[in-house]
Amino acid sequence: MILAQLQIRGEDDAGDSCVADNGFCPSWIADNWERYQDPFLEHLALTLISVAIGFVIAFGLALVAHRRRWLIPPITQITGILYTLPSVALFFLLLPLTGRGKTTAVIALVAYTLLIIFRNVITGLEGVPAEARDAGRGMGLTPRQLLWRVELPLALPAIMAGLRIAVTTTVGLTALVFLAGAGGLGEEIFNDMQFRSNVVVAGGLCVLLAVVLDLLVLAAQKLITPWTRKVAT
Amino acid sequence: MPPTHTAQSEGPSGYREAVELEFAEATKRYPGADSPAVDGLSLTVPAGEICVFVGPSGCGKTTAMRMVNRMIDISSGDILVGGRSVKDRDVDELRREIGYVIQQIGLFPHRTIADNIATVPRLLGWDRPKINARVEELLDLIGLPQDMSKRYPAQLSGGQRQRVGVARALAADPPLMLMDEPFGAIDPINRERLQNEFLRLQAEIRKTIVFVTHDIDEAIKMGDRIAILQVGGKLAQYATPSEILLHPANEFVEDFVGADRALKRLALLRVSDIELGPSNGGPSIRDTALVRDALSDLLQHGALHGNVVDSGGRTVGGISMEALARLAKA
Repeated sequence: MILAQLQIRGEDDAGDSCVADNGFCPSWIADNWERYQDPFLEHLALTLISVAIGFVIAFGLALVAHRRRWLIPPITQITGILYTLPSVALFFLLLPLTGRGKTTAVIALVAYTLLIIFRNVITGLEGVPAEARDAGRGMGLTPRQLLWRVELPLALPAIMAGLRIAVTTTVGLTALVFLAGAGGLGEEIFNDMQFRSNVVVAGGLCVLLAVVLDLLVLAAQKLITPWTRKVAT
Repeated sequence: MPPTHTAQSEGPSGYREAVELEFAEATKRYPGADSPAVDGLSLTVPAGEICVFVGPSGCGKTTAMRMVNRMIDISSGDILVGGRSVKDRDVDELRREIGYVIQQIGLFPHRTIADNIATVPRLLGWDRPKINARVEELLDLIGLPQDMSKRYPAQLSGGQRQRVGVARALAADPPLMLMDEPFGAIDPINRERLQNEFLRLQAEIRKTIVFVTHDIDEAIKMGDRIAILQVGGKLAQYATPSEILLHPANEFVEDFVGADRALKRLALLRVSDIELGPSNGGPSIRDTALVRDALSDLLQHGALHGNVVDSGGRTVGGISMEALARLAKA
């Protein structure tokens, strides 16, 4: 995997003293804005797809482990190992299996979300007040009804908190998947790391994406957990 | 005049008839424990009565109660609700037919008051208009304003939450209710109010109720019958409050009801329940007061007799220390 540094400063920029001095150049940014559009969308798609797949897997694992408590330590350990694995190493490990490209990137990104989401779902379910559970069982809710009508709704704040961490972490990690040939804003940053305007725009878009997605998840949480907004009058 | 349904007592929608509850040698043994938690408990609670399980901690009173709706499995013996063994029933179906109130209340924090109350009716598949009507009716019954229905439990006071807990247990009009220290977490003043409210409610709804408490005064106040349990899950005495105060079955019961059982007995009666003599003056005492409180009034005034008056302030008779002493000794 050899990566060549490109010069993205074009011939026609030669006369621009700002570009020549490697400053922060609003005019260059305005002229080259379109260059970032596709990588940005790519970055967004990779993040959302990975978090969505990671959520489904981790949530499923958590539901299974909620019933069979002995599964919690091994699942935590395995997802923990995945979490600590350096991403570059993981790309290389996956290369012979899935080759360069988006599949490799998504598999790696999903691997990093598992621990965060799994832990938060388990923590949320463990935080359900024992008396709500007892009252629910005592009123004749089946175990399944108890899970979906009482336990999971009450675990939502913790689950959504996990989702927020997973989303922001994934936005950051997606900036590295260009190493596996999957594009994204990281590729733009790397294309000309010496050029300040480029790094500021591509990096800034990463941060913006992370913040906006985080706020969206937070807004969704507020929307679906109305009881957490109302406190004693 | 429309035909009357004499089988049902009068109420907002007519209540389902209460059922008899029978413990038949019901026993709970935990593996590894030396002695059973509940040891061969046999007693019958007549339909429509409050039976209080009372005793020190570790006496198995809560365990005994929780065996009724099979929150705890019966090791041996049986429990019959309306003549049917609880062991033959589908456990969730059984629980939906038994009202359940616990000390920590256990309202669902993520559900509004209306949704909390509607829990069991929804499980039973009632249609929406019927559920809404029932919620309204129950809020009236427990004396909460209708606009509370859209609030969340965290927005209510402890006493209000406890009332909602009772309303939720009553929602599907169960013939039997289990109440585990329902007023235990409420401050003394509000507890007394809730107790009185609940007794008024019970006079109307006439459910069969198992009421667990560790407080003998609450037991005497709430119970039509009291089952006193001692450590090891053995039934020490099962009788009416006045019988227990008058004739404690053994030393344990005598100790448990306390040295002031003569006073407690006076608290079972109201002034209007006893035979009054002619008035010889003294401090005014309402005829609706508890006899114990009348005695306290006399002691406070240093008086040997009091003047009993009705709601209009008219003298209806007199009460004397001698009469009270005879009453307490009986």
